[in-house]
Amino acid sequence: MPSAPGLLSLLTVPALSVLLDTFFYRPDEDIGFLEELVAGTDATSSPLPEESPEEYLAFRLEGEFYAVPIHGVREIVKVPPLTEVPRAAPNLLGVVYLRGEVLPVYDIKVKLRLTDKASLVAGPDAPEPPRSARIIVVQTADGLAGIWVDSVSEVVRLRPSMLELDVPGVVGGERDCVVGLGRRNKQLFILLDIWQALA
Amino acid sequence: MNQAGKALAEFVAESTEIVDVLGKELLVLDQQRGQEPDPDLLNGIFRSAHSLKGLAALFGQEGIATLAHHAEDLLDRLRLGKLSLDDGVLDMLIESLDVFQGMLAQAAREEFSPSMAMRLKELVARLDGVGSAEAAGEEDPLDRLDLEPQVRAVFTEYEEHRLRENVRRGVALWRIRAPFDLSDFDTGLTELNVRLKPLGEVVSTLPSSEPGGATGIAFDLIFGAKVSAEELEAKLQGTPAQIFALKVRPATGAAEPMGSVAPPPAKKGGAREEEASRTRASTADGQESGSRMEQALEDSRAEGGSMSDSSVVSSPHTLSEPPVRTLMLSEDGPPRGPRTEESLRSLTQTVRVDIGRLDALMNTVGELLLIKANLQRMAEAARQQQEVATAASRQYGQELARETRQLERKLDALQQGLLEARMVPVGQVFDKLARLVRRIAREEGKEIDFIISGGEVELDKLIVEELSDPLMHIIRNAIDHGVESPETRLANGKSRRARVSLRAEQKGNHVFIEVSDDGAGIDELLVREMALKRGLITEVQAREMNRRELLNLIFLPGFSTARKVSTLSGRGVGLDVVKNNIGNLSGIIDVWSERGQGTSFHLTLPVTLAIIRALLVGVSGRTYAVPLNSVLEILSVTPGDIRTVERREVLDVRGEHTLPLVRMARLFGHPERNSGRHFVVVAGLAQERLGIVVDELQGQQDIVVNSLGGRLQGVRGISGATDLGNRRTVLVLDVGALLEEAGSLDRRRA
Repeated sequence: MPSAPGLLSLLTVPALSVLLDTFFYRPDEDIGFLEELVAGTDATSSPLPEESPEEYLAFRLEGEFYAVPIHGVREIVKVPPLTEVPRAAPNLLGVVYLRGEVLPVYDIKVKLRLTDKASLVAGPDAPEPPRSARIIVVQTADGLAGIWVDSVSEVVRLRPSMLELDVPGVVGGERDCVVGLGRRNKQLFILLDIWQALA
Repeated sequence: MNQAGKALAEFVAESTEIVDVLGKELLVLDQQRGQEPDPDLLNGIFRSAHSLKGLAALFGQEGIATLAHHAEDLLDRLRLGKLSLDDGVLDMLIESLDVFQGMLAQAAREEFSPSMAMRLKELVARLDGVGSAEAAGEEDPLDRLDLEPQVRAVFTEYEEHRLRENVRRGVALWRIRAPFDLSDFDTGLTELNVRLKPLGEVVSTLPSSEPGGATGIAFDLIFGAKVSAEELEAKLQGTPAQIFALKVRPATGAAEPMGSVAPPPAKKGGAREEEASRTRASTADGQESGSRMEQALEDSRAEGGSMSDSSVVSSPHTLSEPPVRTLMLSEDGPPRGPRTEESLRSLTQTVRVDIGRLDALMNTVGELLLIKANLQRMAEAARQQQEVATAASRQYGQELARETRQLERKLDALQQGLLEARMVPVGQVFDKLARLVRRIAREEGKEIDFIISGGEVELDKLIVEELSDPLMHIIRNAIDHGVESPETRLANGKSRRARVSLRAEQKGNHVFIEVSDDGAGIDELLVREMALKRGLITEVQAREMNRRELLNLIFLPGFSTARKVSTLSGRGVGLDVVKNNIGNLSGIIDVWSERGQGTSFHLTLPVTLAIIRALLVGVSGRTYAVPLNSVLEILSVTPGDIRTVERREVLDVRGEHTLPLVRMARLFGHPERNSGRHFVVVAGLAQERLGIVVDELQGQQDIVVNSLGGRLQGVRGISGATDLGNRRTVLVLDVGALLEEAGSLDRRRA
């Protein structure tokens, strides 16, 4: 039956295109019902938000454990020799060249009231930095910034149910950079808003 | 950058290029004011407007497209001779350019302000309103030309207009027939055009009906010659071209019967278009038998010559001088419009590169330089160990040293090449300023000759960009306040027209730019009075100041806010800002003025900022870099040399002058070290001098300066940081800011 495929295509092509046409999205068509449909599935598919844990970078400052969401951290570097910047803000520890960019390194201990005065870590009179000290590099609205930490401990996965975002006496107050507490078993992490800490 | 942003950036870059070309061409037109505009130039401008229209429409920039469209309309009427170019039209075109730039700047920020929309609407209305009707009752001179209607019919409207213009002016018209071989007719034709160009105007190029053999093609060029037949013939020696004169009948009151024979000229060749041998879009092919053309009649030229007197078009603006003329003193001729040959190949061999990419490359070169320095150190160390080394390792050390030297040379070449890639002619800014001068002069009712020279001098792109604002400020001041009104000038025995000149010149690693005028000059006594009244200087200081120092008071920040600047023969509008901007470019500004004779500002700028030579100094165990271009000299002093005047430390330099000192350790709050000897780095920008006291000198080095970036912008006295290798980050001093600081300290104490 050599003529059969030809005949078939003659018959089906217009029908098929009409059929397909209904599947193609047209810019002018109303898709409101689709959106409702999607919105409905969304609400039903995630009834338990705790199931999606977030990764945090945990580090130590003056013996306390702190944590920041890891997606905000660009990299972690060992402490290079820092160059002090005269007459800069007191929380600026110094600057260092990092792959062609000038990276300012900040102290956040004073802001967290862990110490009274930023420690001297740059310049010829500064002692060797402790072996465990690291600089956490984060991207801020006006460029890269480094934060001095005493040591980096681990990456922790915290589920929303493990967070306490409203702790009286710990969280709150204007310009406070502590946003909550994270608890994993008996370990307590102080959650920081890193950008607020740099402000 | 996302896709849309990229497209927009591309559009802005390309349009800016077109607008720049347009600006240049309009400037040339402006210079030729009072003369018959060069048809090639007008055509070029028309095409620029046309390209801009197409580009803007493509990117959905409606405002720009609309204006380009209306400007194109006006230009079309100009080039077709339906409108004559007078001052009003030229001003309107130049104003369009300003609006284009304004809209482009807004487009780059993805906005379109209502005020801009108003301006656009108003300008478009005026563009359309110009010379809408032109009386066209007179006899068409083209009818007097002995040319077959078939040939006439294939001319484009523009070609027809040019031919008509030539007939009207009595130019000798020729038909030049040139047969070429098919294989290389394009080169032959190009060569012929090049030869003809200086001799007159090629009105049209038509493929001839008489083929030059089996593999040949012949062209008929309709040519309006400025030279005699003999000269034309001589110049065409060696080409296959033959020339035939086109006869022009004398103009008579009675219309020739030609009109009835010739069909109304059509834009396109109709049926003749079928023929495939069209060479370019604007050329239609002719089918006429050439025989009738071959009546070489010598007397046609004579007739043409006698006719011309009666029909020369004199433009009205030759009678009165235009308010502003721009004169270029550059060696290369005025820029011409794009050539008439159209081709899909781009006209230039240049590529546009984002300056950010060049910066990134420059950083890489900077890092390579550091690696090279490390290699050199290793080679040096190997050399010094030669006594203890074995023969093999000695040879190894030598080879290392040799290869390192090779590397150094290549790196130098790479660095040099990159620096050159960043260079652009300073003329880019000058052209924009020339337009500004026109506008201001018109607003102020001044008559000015604006003289530009040295536009070809090259500077780093970033510097050229940063230069336009300060230069604009200075020139605006010169016209606003320096230049007197024509009446005052005549009364003072000066020429009616003032001269404002802008000159650039390369001097070694620096570029010197001078803005001068022959206006009223600055009265330094009034400057002194004003400075005293504003509390900028004390009586004591004023007494000690010489003329030059007094003049330079106009750069003080407080001075510019003075209310009645205009009574003070004028300067002072934001000159402190100008000085700051120049200082940011590591430049120096100086002013000189003679009452009644004029004022000139001198700017000295480094050719590039990307890599600078720096002096490395040690202060309390820290290292800082001082840009060498601001270091005048270095003195070695003992504590006994330092004196105190009004609790301020100064140094007596060779008994000639007193130099204010600043101890860097103290200024920066570093622990001071009591060494017996100090070094004083004498830094200078413009007239200000400052001695910076440091502990030690560590040598010179080429450095790549990186700015401190957003978070550290507010740090005083530091302009950036650099990497010296060995993971050492060194801060670069901002000498301008230090001088400023020392100066304000000075005034507070005084």
